[in-house]
Amino acid sequence: MSSPNGAVTVRRVVSPLALCAALIVAWQVTVRVSHVPIFIVPAPSDVWHAAVRTAPLLGEHIATTLTEAGLGLALGVTVGALLAVVIAAIPAVGDAIYPLVTFSQTIPIIVLAPLLILWAGFGLTPKVILVALTVFFPVLVSAVSAMRSVEADLTDMVAGLGGGRRHQLWFVRLPAALPGALSGLRLAATYTIGAAVVSEYLAGQSGLGVFIQRSRKAYAVDQIFVAILVIAVLTAVLFVIVDTLCRLATPWQRDQR
Amino acid sequence: MTTFRTDGRVLGVERLTVTFRTGRREVTALQDVDLTLAAGEFLAVVGPSGCGKSTLLRALAGLLLASAVVDRSSTITVPRDASGRPDVVWMPQQNCLLPWRRAMANAALGARVAGVPRAEAVHRASEMFERFGLAGFERSWPHELSGGMRQRLALLRTTLTGRSVLLLDEPFGALDAITRRSMNQWLADLRRSHDGALPSTVVLVTHDVDEAVTLADRVIVMSSRPGRIVDEIVVATEQSPRERVLAALSVE
Repeated sequence: MSSPNGAVTVRRVVSPLALCAALIVAWQVTVRVSHVPIFIVPAPSDVWHAAVRTAPLLGEHIATTLTEAGLGLALGVTVGALLAVVIAAIPAVGDAIYPLVTFSQTIPIIVLAPLLILWAGFGLTPKVILVALTVFFPVLVSAVSAMRSVEADLTDMVAGLGGGRRHQLWFVRLPAALPGALSGLRLAATYTIGAAVVSEYLAGQSGLGVFIQRSRKAYAVDQIFVAILVIAVLTAVLFVIVDTLCRLATPWQRDQR
Repeated sequence: MTTFRTDGRVLGVERLTVTFRTGRREVTALQDVDLTLAAGEFLAVVGPSGCGKSTLLRALAGLLLASAVVDRSSTITVPRDASGRPDVVWMPQQNCLLPWRRAMANAALGARVAGVPRAEAVHRASEMFERFGLAGFERSWPHELSGGMRQRLALLRTTLTGRSVLLLDEPFGALDAITRRSMNQWLADLRRSHDGALPSTVVLVTHDVDEAVTLADRVIVMSSRPGRIVDEIVVATEQSPRERVLAALSVE
């Protein structure tokens, strides 16, 4: 296509792909020319061979990590959204809880992992809780700030119709919070796989984190690269799914963008 | 003290004085305003910007801002419905349509807030869509409507609460002059039809003199701050004999 649109497409799609290919070629050539050992930096071709070799093993690990991430995401979103509603509905409770919740975020979630393992064992539960804790906060914060930033004009309008606080909450504040909560969810979705993997570093029998730790112990650096690629792809897929759900849930924003 | 009386369907204020306190500053918005409205009357309140006409309307709606202080000697009278709630409905200057509701659901909101179940609220709204020049746009999002349509939709939402007194705060103030003129004509026709599409008693706040005399039976002129009533004009009814007969028939 020689239209201006075609030129833009070339720039936006073709040029990053070309850069990516160039980087891979440069990586391959550098590793081969400098004779870096495969247990320090593997070449892209080594990573490809490792991927083919480990593919039969990876399925189970991916399933474990996805289960943890999915359950954790669902739990974190549910608790975060419910708490946001409580904070919006009962200001006194909100004033008491919200600063505490915010302050609790000074604790990096991952440092809680040993405690969670101590309390909830080596199985699925501590990892789901860890993912949920990671997801919970961005959902809560974006939902609460969306509800707080609802234009006073809209709640005034409901009051002008004769509505009380209950009507304002139901007809204005809650629906207004939805896009905010969803953008928090979109942000949270990018954390979930990573959080699940890191929680597997500490304990577990299965999962991409376990696979990475085993590969490290065996100096199979090529396998670590395979796992990193898989994590990146899974995160991207999860993000696209969540983003699509968000768009479906807010149809009025579709052609406003 | 502000007292609320329930003596019939009359709306009014006596010696209404409202002061705003922001920090140490005190601004008197309204000073000794007396006003009475008969049932079925269309009153327009005109005055320069900042003369307190919106405050007067908010006082009637029971929606004064937190920073507003009503003088102890003031009396505000609003009609009450059977359950004791104020039988008035207030429409702000901005259309305040909810962007996540389609036109139909936005219109139905008024009835929903008044306690009407969803299906019945939608039914009532759909019956009025044609009258409000919105037929065919039931499933449109607010941002897809023209400025005039949004304002008519907001007015439809307001009237569907079924309240007997309508309080309008510069409802067409945000529209361009041409659209505003056609909206005024449409609203005048709607009122003249006496078919219950519009509550019979209306207070309209505006700074547009043409709008006031086109729509109202009586016009009150307010001074700049502190707002007082400086003049009152009864607008000659320009009803044709045919319209008068029709009006008399529908009043019974």
